[in-house]
Amino acid sequence: MVEMTRRERILKASHREKVDRLPFFHNWRHMQTGWAEREARNRVMGISWARPSYVTKIHDVDISEQWLKKDGQTVYHRVFTTPVGTVYQDEMRAPGTGQWHGMRSWNDITPWCTARLIKEPEDYKVVKFIVEHTEYIADYFPLEQAKDWLGDEGVVMDVQPHQPMQTLMIDWVGSEGGRFFIHHARYLDLVEDLCQAIAKSREPMYEIGAKSPADVIWCGDNIDGVLVNPRLYEKYFLPEYEKMARICHKHGKLLASHMDGRVGVLKDLIARTPLDIIEALHPPPLGDLSIGEALKAWPDKVIWVGFPGSVYTMGPKATREHALNLLRDVIPGERLCLEVSTENIVSNENLLTLTSVLENAELPLTAAKIDRIEKALKR
Amino acid sequence: MSENKYLAALKESIVALDFAGVVKLAKEAIEAGVDPNKAINESMVPGMAIVGEKFEKGDYFLSELVVAAEVMKEGLKVITPYIKGEGAQKLGKVVIATVEGDHHDLGKNIVTSLLRMQGFEVIDLGVDVATEKIIGAVKEHQPSILGMSALLTLTMPKMGEVIKALKAASMRQKVKVIIGGTAITQDFAASIGADHKAVNALEGVKKCVEWVSSPGRRN
Repeated sequence: MVEMTRRERILKASHREKVDRLPFFHNWRHMQTGWAEREARNRVMGISWARPSYVTKIHDVDISEQWLKKDGQTVYHRVFTTPVGTVYQDEMRAPGTGQWHGMRSWNDITPWCTARLIKEPEDYKVVKFIVEHTEYIADYFPLEQAKDWLGDEGVVMDVQPHQPMQTLMIDWVGSEGGRFFIHHARYLDLVEDLCQAIAKSREPMYEIGAKSPADVIWCGDNIDGVLVNPRLYEKYFLPEYEKMARICHKHGKLLASHMDGRVGVLKDLIARTPLDIIEALHPPPLGDLSIGEALKAWPDKVIWVGFPGSVYTMGPKATREHALNLLRDVIPGERLCLEVSTENIVSNENLLTLTSVLENAELPLTAAKIDRIEKALKR
Repeated sequence: MSENKYLAALKESIVALDFAGVVKLAKEAIEAGVDPNKAINESMVPGMAIVGEKFEKGDYFLSELVVAAEVMKEGLKVITPYIKGEGAQKLGKVVIATVEGDHHDLGKNIVTSLLRMQGFEVIDLGVDVATEKIIGAVKEHQPSILGMSALLTLTMPKMGEVIKALKAASMRQKVKVIIGGTAITQDFAASIGADHKAVNALEGVKKCVEWVSSPGRRN
């Protein structure tokens, strides 16, 4: 097979077509740059880059922001004042936040929300007002620019926010102390009413994404079956994916969802979704579903596999073993990409070890090919 | 309603995750003269045990475990003021914390709630707790168990740092160390010298009960 570009490889595999080797790329939001990264990219590694297709305008809401001292901590305090009331949220921002990509600190941690927007039942109507007064406006410049810059090096994804109920669970109500679950049990009507309002307000955003120049529409859902149990997933997530997929597919776009948690308990429900790509799926020890099992469970989906951070912490030998075991688990290697983080805990040695395994992962994978890769690395 | 019927109904309110029901029943039971110790130990605690069994079977999920603990707290608020004397003897003392750099508290809080319901005294240090603070708390409270939680791969090594500091302070032999968090593996737990890696909250609490119930317990 003719050598493909990194972009062709990722896109063809994502469309369930045959490719020359296992697509391997790192994610812009979790990537290092430097000599080892350059070497890895020269050898085989591509890039996935996520940028938004829209900007938002919030009407009739005053937003004020200031740094405050609270309980001995400096927090970034944002107040949203609406005609129906006021809500606020506080964040702690570690050094480095805002000084490089993705609002991440030098340790790759996004701001910690120490006070969520929704604390009490009366906050729901205020947040609903904000939601209903949020306008989504197409702005394709970031995507066009990224595509232009990347060229054949990789793919560009449109970033969509967490699903409506996930927005409540992990952003606005929060899971600290189980607060979302308690609100969902105590104030079900308020939770569901706001969830529906979010879903409705975002419909124009789905259209904007679907018509954008992005290759893939990516929902940063952060699904973990321990938090999002099957009952919640079936009731609140499936219908939203169906709505999104109808819009995306009409415009020829692939729909992806970020699921880097333990999703074994959701396996059968995920199979029922119209999602095209399960992104950042992590095999054990971080996740609880092997990639081989996932491929069998989801015959019409493509998996972008993540590499567990806890393996990286064990060093290059563990990294090599995990990569080889992964290849053995996915023979012949179809409907698959390897999308990894290369930041912080990923040493240059780890990255180059991983590259040495994957640059030789020609498809279709066979046990003999993988044995040869292993032998070559031991020389 | 007879005492037994109150006890059964209270238990059922925990299993059914019934916030309003548990408060109403707890008030009625107390007014009807039900022994508050019985209401807790022979009704609500067994109710939580049923929730735990359902969780283990996969009929209930983490959300139900959290909500059941909250329902039980509501019931306890009504009943506890009527308990006379010092109440039951504590099963053991646990210091628990999410390690420095990590603000995730869901798992830690569930473990804390379940430990308290089992009869442990729990000193919850909160989230983002510096190693020195954890060591200070172990020195001060002399628990039989230290529990540490970390969700982030980046913060996992802090657990090893705490165990090293325990050794340096000659306290390691005096306290069992249990750790938990999504990214934590048995290999990692072994590599840092932890006594146990909790598979989930219930299993972790069972291990704590086993430790303090076994002969030669450390507290």
